[in-house]
Amino acid sequence: MGAGDFIERSLTQSLDHCIKCNICTTVCPVAAVADLFPGPKYVGPQAQRFRRADQPVPDVSVDYCSGCRACNMACPTGVHIAELNARARAQIVAEQGLPLRNRLIARSELIGRLGNGPHAPIANWALRQPLMRRTVEYALGIAREAPLPAFSASTFRAWFRRRERQMQPARRATQSRRQVVYFHGCATNYYEPHVGKAAVAALERNGFEVILAKQNCCGLPLISNGDFATARRYHEANVRKLLPYVRQGIPIVGTSTSCTLTLKEEAPAILGLDGPDVRLVSAHVYDIFEFLCELADRGELNTDFRPVECMLPYHPPCQLRAHRIGLPAVDVLALVPGLRLVESHADCCGIAGTYGLKREKYQIGMDVGAQLFAFIRDSGSDLALCDSETCRWQITHGSDVATQHPIEILAEAYGEE
Amino acid sequence: MTAYDTIVIGAGLAGLIAALRHAEQGQRVLLLAKGYGTTHWTAGCIDVLDAPETGDDPSAAIEALTVCHPTHPYASAGLANLVAALDRLRALCEAANYPLVGDLRRNVRLPTAVGALRPTCLLPAVMAAGDARQLPRAGSVHGTLVAGFRELRDFFPPLLAANLAVQGYAAQGAYLELPPTGRKRDFTSLTLARLFDQPEFRAHVGRQLRRLVKQNGYSHIALPAVLGLEHAPEVVRDLQAAAGALVFEVPTLPPSVPGIRLLRVLERAVIQAGGRLQIGAFVTQAKGRDGRLESVSTAAAARQQRHHAERFVLATGGIAGGGLRAEPSGELRETALGLPVRAPEHRAAWFSPRVFDGAGHPAFRAGVAVDRRFRPLDLADGVAYTNVVVIGAALAGVDPVREACLEGLALATAWAASDIG
Repeated sequence: MGAGDFIERSLTQSLDHCIKCNICTTVCPVAAVADLFPGPKYVGPQAQRFRRADQPVPDVSVDYCSGCRACNMACPTGVHIAELNARARAQIVAEQGLPLRNRLIARSELIGRLGNGPHAPIANWALRQPLMRRTVEYALGIAREAPLPAFSASTFRAWFRRRERQMQPARRATQSRRQVVYFHGCATNYYEPHVGKAAVAALERNGFEVILAKQNCCGLPLISNGDFATARRYHEANVRKLLPYVRQGIPIVGTSTSCTLTLKEEAPAILGLDGPDVRLVSAHVYDIFEFLCELADRGELNTDFRPVECMLPYHPPCQLRAHRIGLPAVDVLALVPGLRLVESHADCCGIAGTYGLKREKYQIGMDVGAQLFAFIRDSGSDLALCDSETCRWQITHGSDVATQHPIEILAEAYGEE
Repeated sequence: MTAYDTIVIGAGLAGLIAALRHAEQGQRVLLLAKGYGTTHWTAGCIDVLDAPETGDDPSAAIEALTVCHPTHPYASAGLANLVAALDRLRALCEAANYPLVGDLRRNVRLPTAVGALRPTCLLPAVMAAGDARQLPRAGSVHGTLVAGFRELRDFFPPLLAANLAVQGYAAQGAYLELPPTGRKRDFTSLTLARLFDQPEFRAHVGRQLRRLVKQNGYSHIALPAVLGLEHAPEVVRDLQAAAGALVFEVPTLPPSVPGIRLLRVLERAVIQAGGRLQIGAFVTQAKGRDGRLESVSTAAAARQQRHHAERFVLATGGIAGGGLRAEPSGELRETALGLPVRAPEHRAAWFSPRVFDGAGHPAFRAGVAVDRRFRPLDLADGVAYTNVVVIGAALAGVDPVREACLEGLALATAWAASDIG
C-alpha cells in the first residue's frame, strides 16, 4: 500500500458518510437523460460495498459516469463519489482490458504529435470527410458527429522557442524577477496555440517571466478511461519535470482547467499518489484566473485595460467547478471596462473530456449539453467563453457559436491582437 | 477576490432567504455551502409550529411561547418578522407560478407517505386538497384513492390508504401502470417528476385515474409528490380535469421534489438579485480578530480559498443539517466557525431513555446560543463575534423537528437577523 494509504482510507471511509439521500442523483446530468446510468449513489457508494479485490465487478454501468463531479459538489456529507467511480472504472479496465478506442483517445499527446505539423491541413481535411468519419466510427467507435479539434500547423512550444530566441537580448536587459511556469497541456500545444499566446501575453503584462518547462500530458484522459498504470507514469514524470521549479517557489499556471485540476488533486487522489514531491507540485499549481485573482487581491494586477464593449455568455466548466475556487474568470474580467459575462448555470456541456466522443455516449453528451447550447444560442452573442478546451469544442459543435478561453478576451483587453 | 458585504454559510431555507434578503438590500452577497441538504430532505412545506394547545393556531402559539419561553428563538425573532418572511416567500413562489397556500392562524394536517397526519402551515397549492379536514370520512359516498407506481420505491398506496382508514377516512390504495417511457432502469422521484412535466405522460396517467374514479366514485386522489418539476400546478390541473376528482401530492422519501422546487425558486431569486452561490464549498476555517470575524476559508483543490466579508450569516443547520457534529470525544462541535455549542454536559444526557419521549431528546435542542440580535455567545455569555449572526436550526434552545417549526424558524430568524446591525 505505502504512500497511497491515507488517500485509500479517506476514499473508502467517505462512503460510510453516505446517508443514501440521493441528492447526488438529482444533480447528475447523465442520470437526468440516460436510462443506462442509474445515478452516482448506486454506482458509487452503494456498489462500492460489493467491490472487493477478490471478487468480480458487480455492475459495469459505472462506465457511464462522465466524471463531471456534480455529485461531489452537491453531496451534503462529503462523499468522494466521482473518485470512487473513477476507481471502479479502473477496476473494470484492469479485469477486462482497455478497448483499442479508449487506448487511443486517452493519448492526447500522441494524437497531437501525429496530426501536428505542416501536414495538419491535410489531416484536418481528412477528418472532416464524412466517409472518413464513418470509417473511424465503424473501426474505432468514435462518433462520426463528435467534435474533433483541428490540428495546428505548428506547436505552441515551437512558437514560444522561436519567440524566445528573437527576444533574448532585449529580455536580458530587463530581466524580470518574477517567474511563472506555464503548463500549456496538449490542447494548447497541438490544437490551440493562440490560447497559450494569450496566456503568455497576460502573464508578461503583469511583469512575469514565463518559463516553458518540460512537461507531458497530465494523464487525465487516461484516468477517465481507466488506465491508471500509464496515468501514474505520466504524473510521476510531470512531478519530476516540475519539481526543480516549485522547489524555488515558482508557481505553475495553466489555462486548461482539467490539466491543472489533475496536477492539483485528481492524480494524487484518484491514483493514490502521495508524498512530499507530489504534494509540493500540487500546492504550486494554479488555474490562470485563480492566479490573476490572487494578484488582484494583493493589488498587484495590471488593470491597464482598454474597454471591450460586449456582453458574453460564459460557461464555467465542470472541471473548473471541481477546483472549488468560485468564478475567478468572472471576477477578473469584471475589471475590464464595458465587458460583462453572463454565467450559464447549466449543468455540463456533456463532452466530459473524451466521454462525448464515444459512439455509445455521443448522444448522451449532446442531451446533457442541450440546456447549455440553448442558453448560448439564446444569448444572441456570436462568441461564448469557457475555460476548458473540450467543452469549448462541444459548445461550438452544439450551438454553432464560436467559443474562446476567457484569457483570450483578457489579452485583447491588454491590447494584444 | 470580490469584497463581499455579507457571506452566508448554508444553502437550506434559512441561508437562501438570508442571501436573498441581503442581496435585495443591495449588498454584495456570497452564499457558501458544503452541498445541498434540507431542501431535498424535507416535505417542501413551511412548518411554523405545532399548536395543539391553541386550536391549531400557530401564530397564537408563537405569542404564547414568547411569554412562556422568552429564550426561544421565535421570541427574539418576533411574529412580525415571520409574517414578513412568509409574505416574501409567498410572493416569490407566486411569481414562479408555484403558489403556496395556508394561513398563519391555522395549521393544516396533511397525510404523510405512511398515512400519519402531520401539521404544517404553508403548503404548495398542489398539496392543498390533502387537508385532512376535507378528506371524506368512512361511510361517506365518496372516498380517497391513494395511487402510485410500483417503480417508485418507498411509496406504498395500500399502506397509506390502510393507515388513513384506521383513522376513520374512506381510502383505498391502487398501483397505476407506468406509462410507456422507454426507460427500463431506475425511477427516482425526480425521474418521475420530469416525466410528469411531459403532457403525454400525464395524459396516460389521467386516463387511468378517470377509470378508477368512474368505477369507485372517488372525490380525492393522493399521488406521490412527483407531479412535475417545472410545471406542477399545470400537471395537477390536467390530472384533475382528466380524472374528475381533486388531486393532491403526498411528500415522498428523499429526494423531495417539492423541496427541490422551492430550492430552484430561491436559487433563481438569489442569482437574479445579484447574489452568488458557491456550492461544494465546505467552510473549514474561520479567522477573527478583536471580536470580529474577518474571513472564512473553504476547502479547494490543493489549498484553502479565503473569503472576506463585513458580515457573516451562519445557517448551517443542526445535527441533521450538518451544522453540528458529534465528535468521538463526546462533544458537539459547530462545524464552520467553531462557535461554542450549548449542549447537555455529558453524552449520557443527550437522549431520553425512551425513544418516543414526548419531551424529545436534549441533544436535539443543542446549538449555538445567541443574544437578542442573533449574535453568537461564548460560554461566558459574551458576544463571540459582533459581525456574525446565527439563524435557523443551528440555534440552541429549540428542537425544530419535534416542534414542527423547522421552516418557520429558518424564515423568521433569517428575516429578523438581517434587519439588525
